[in-house]
Amino acid sequence: MRDQLRDRRTLFMVAVLPVLMYPLLGTSFFQLAQFMRETTGRVALYNAEELTDAPGVPPLVEGDRFAEKLFATPEERERLIVERRPTPDAPGPDDPAAAARAAIAAEEIEVAVVFPADFAERLQSAGAAPSPDAPAPPPPAPAVLYNSGREPSQVAGLRTSDILRRWRRALVRQTLEDSGVPPAATSPFQVAQLDVADQSVREAMVWSKLLPFIVFLWALTGAFYPAIDLCAGEKERGTLETLLASPARRSEIVGGKLLTVMTFSVFTALLNLASLALTAKILVGQLAGVLGGPVGLAAPPAAAMAWIVVAVVPIAALFSALSLACAAYARSTKEGQYYFMPLFLAATPLMVLPLSPGVELNLGNSLVPVMGLVLLLRALIEGQLADAALYAGPVILVTAICCWLAMRWAVSQFNQESVLFRESERFDLRAQLAAMVRRRGDTPSPTAAIACFAAMLLAQSALRSLWPLPSEGFSGFGYFAALVIAGQVLCILAPAVLVTWLLARSWRETWRLQAPPRVADMALGLAVALALHPAGQRLALGIRELYPLSESVKAQLAGLAGLVGDAPPIGVVLLLMGVLPAVCEELAFRGVILTGLRKSLGDAGGVLLTAVLFGATHTVLVQSLAAAPVGAVLGVIALRTGSIVPCVLMHAAYNSLQLLAALNAPRIRSLTSDWGLSDAVFVEMPSGELGYALPIAILGGVAAALMVLAMGRRGRGAPQPAPAFGAAS
Amino acid sequence: MTDAPGAPSPTPSPGRQPVAQRPMVQVEGLTKTYDDLARGEIVAVDRLTFSAHSGEVFGLLGPNGAGKTTALRILTTLLKPTAGVALVNGFDCVRQAELVRNQIGFISANTAVYDRMTAWEFVEYFGRLHGLAPATLRERMEGLFAKLGMDDLRDTLGAKMSTGMKQKTSIARALVHDPPVIVFDEATNGLDAFAARASLDAVAELRDEGKCVVFSTHIMSEVQRSCDRIAVMHRGRIIDSGPTDELRERHGQQDLEELFFQMVRSADQASSPLGPHPSSLKPQASP
Repeated sequence: MRDQLRDRRTLFMVAVLPVLMYPLLGTSFFQLAQFMRETTGRVALYNAEELTDAPGVPPLVEGDRFAEKLFATPEERERLIVERRPTPDAPGPDDPAAAARAAIAAEEIEVAVVFPADFAERLQSAGAAPSPDAPAPPPPAPAVLYNSGREPSQVAGLRTSDILRRWRRALVRQTLEDSGVPPAATSPFQVAQLDVADQSVREAMVWSKLLPFIVFLWALTGAFYPAIDLCAGEKERGTLETLLASPARRSEIVGGKLLTVMTFSVFTALLNLASLALTAKILVGQLAGVLGGPVGLAAPPAAAMAWIVVAVVPIAALFSALSLACAAYARSTKEGQYYFMPLFLAATPLMVLPLSPGVELNLGNSLVPVMGLVLLLRALIEGQLADAALYAGPVILVTAICCWLAMRWAVSQFNQESVLFRESERFDLRAQLAAMVRRRGDTPSPTAAIACFAAMLLAQSALRSLWPLPSEGFSGFGYFAALVIAGQVLCILAPAVLVTWLLARSWRETWRLQAPPRVADMALGLAVALALHPAGQRLALGIRELYPLSESVKAQLAGLAGLVGDAPPIGVVLLLMGVLPAVCEELAFRGVILTGLRKSLGDAGGVLLTAVLFGATHTVLVQSLAAAPVGAVLGVIALRTGSIVPCVLMHAAYNSLQLLAALNAPRIRSLTSDWGLSDAVFVEMPSGELGYALPIAILGGVAAALMVLAMGRRGRGAPQPAPAFGAAS
Repeated sequence: MTDAPGAPSPTPSPGRQPVAQRPMVQVEGLTKTYDDLARGEIVAVDRLTFSAHSGEVFGLLGPNGAGKTTALRILTTLLKPTAGVALVNGFDCVRQAELVRNQIGFISANTAVYDRMTAWEFVEYFGRLHGLAPATLRERMEGLFAKLGMDDLRDTLGAKMSTGMKQKTSIARALVHDPPVIVFDEATNGLDAFAARASLDAVAELRDEGKCVVFSTHIMSEVQRSCDRIAVMHRGRIIDSGPTDELRERHGQQDLEELFFQMVRSADQASSPLGPHPSSLKPQASP
């Protein structure tokens, strides 16, 4: 801490920048406002003689100013100086528009208004009654020329256009009066807007969106720079080695660094907050004084500030742990700074998304890290205390879990020799790939597993851009089937085949085909699918309640259901949507990816990460969240049985059951109703859909878990040496 | 009879050849391999076996890349061995890493001090990490600063120190908890003649105080001046070891530098595909 407090760069970032930045920004803003108010523009009028003698036209120009009646205050009138310029006789380069352009370019004037040659005449005809024989000519259009590349010209242009609009309104009023029509006839009613929100809420609304974003952003920035210096900087200076040779445990070292980084993060955020609030308070007062009235914005309310102070601590803890883990990986401060951008890009959407209209605090959003905290803070600042109290639990829980995971990641980084003593070698992709192929083991390495997943995502992205989903629904089952087959074979199976071919030596071991599956395991696999079906369906419906599908996705899914319902034999549909994905996804995920990942993450870590990656390849978020737990069950089956076959059977049966249940929902409903089981088996979900009753889902889940535990007594753990295929198990 | 781990070893009187009761550092079959994606498996330390006693300076001698730093990093628990055992004062470097760190003072070539801390603050910080009580720590620091002639440096920031000053501060930091084993890893690299001399004087004093000093270097004059016994490392292995005089006699070469080149060249020739295993060239002297 003492070391960091003496670091000028850190102090500049944490203390000096926030203290100076907002007053400087505020002063600049104020000066701009002053400039907007005080700057005077020169306006040249071309063809202005057209205006002078026109009868029934209110004056536009009086002397060297626009007419007094067109301005609310005399000061406003003084900001535009008007001159009439002679109109060139000949058309071409000397025509009024060209002359006006030249004058603006030479900065003789800021704005030019070029009236059409027959402006007065056309004004007259525009006010006359339309003839039934001849269509009304278009109204004349005087042009306002200005240069957006010059601030004074742009400002004067806006003001001049505004004056011309006011003149048009005066002209309309004059024409109506001349015709004996009361001016009120053009606006028979007015729209009155009444904001029923309290003054305090109105003031809080602006800040509730702005403050969390600014403060959290600075909490991240304030965490990262000290983290780089305390990890990568210490590596660079050689002090980290000395520190690690002291009796302090790695977790104590990380804890100490975390507390230091967190302190800086909190102080950066709070100093920004204080500086922003003070600047806003002063600025609002000054603006009100300059503008002579309220400016529609007040300084941040005290309650908002207090809630932000409370929320800064957990977010600083999260950002500090993440920053430490990233910075620990860097060999030098320069390299550490490169890691800031990915962290920033990952965190910013979570802070920006809650600013969008329509994104509100609900259970689904409260479970999203960072975003939930921003929304909770918004609710607290806006005074929605009941909502905030309702969702505070999930937000705190998710934030605490994320902090714990980030902290564990940071500690694990400090326990890895490969991270702490990384040598700075030149990165040679070709040599690295060649070495990966040359040194491949029997089964894929963790790197190969990640490469397989990356290849899947790339292939999915390429397929989507080359063969986009039809926006108006699928034209037929054949088209849909081709898309499914391409998605599975090219995007899931092909990367798995490629990785196994290039980066592993044993196909059978990688794909868990080395041992013949037990008949009991295969039967249990099918039974697990049946038992898990109600829980899976209920979970999917629950997730859909939390994260409702957009209307376009709903329409697409409805179209798909219709297409599948009208399709050829159900066997074909089941093969396509049940069996094919089961084969491809199991070989890829429980084969290549799980086999690789568990080498570095162990059984539990491998199963969990594989399940998350499995979920991530399902494109719709709701599907991803529902698929990940099923992926975890499949991972456990793969490890317990040592064979891919029970996984494929379970996966295919699970997919098929979900499909059959969805297609035959009305029939199942009437059957259970006939048997008097309807209420015991199904409940109506808030969305109107029919879901399995909770006891059924829980019972099924428990039964599935017991069956998984009963599987593969023999094949648990590392793959066994392959016995002769067909040997008794 | 074996002493309990961590029991104080008898301290020999200055100038006397130590009669060790048991080794303070015991290394047996120590191996460390790295998995390098481009170069495959690299054996940095290969079945290393040696021991060092209280009141002696044990030199690990070898060219750059011989595996000296890796071996010493394992001793200081910064790295975990792939195979083999390393004990410091009876504590296992893997299973009892935290206890081992209390038994060792580690000084490396990079003279690592915090730029924004004074010498006093730096040494005090590490004393507190070692759990010394404030009064003990202060007394110990006063003694160390006086002994190492560092009183002028008390309020000097790390950034303002010369390399020699930094190395003195590093030595004070490594000795603040009065460890029985001190590891110097090429600690005189980059020092001017005076600073290097001061470091070597510190090594001699520590030996005379009965400390076990493990000293790695590739500079022969330092070996000649400081080490009681040496082990010559090459490509991760010890190619020969023993008291310096014994080695001279065994190889018939009085010049240590020439002796070193001779051993390394022989090992290189022997490790060629047609040559014998380096360890079979010379008898491995028991430490």
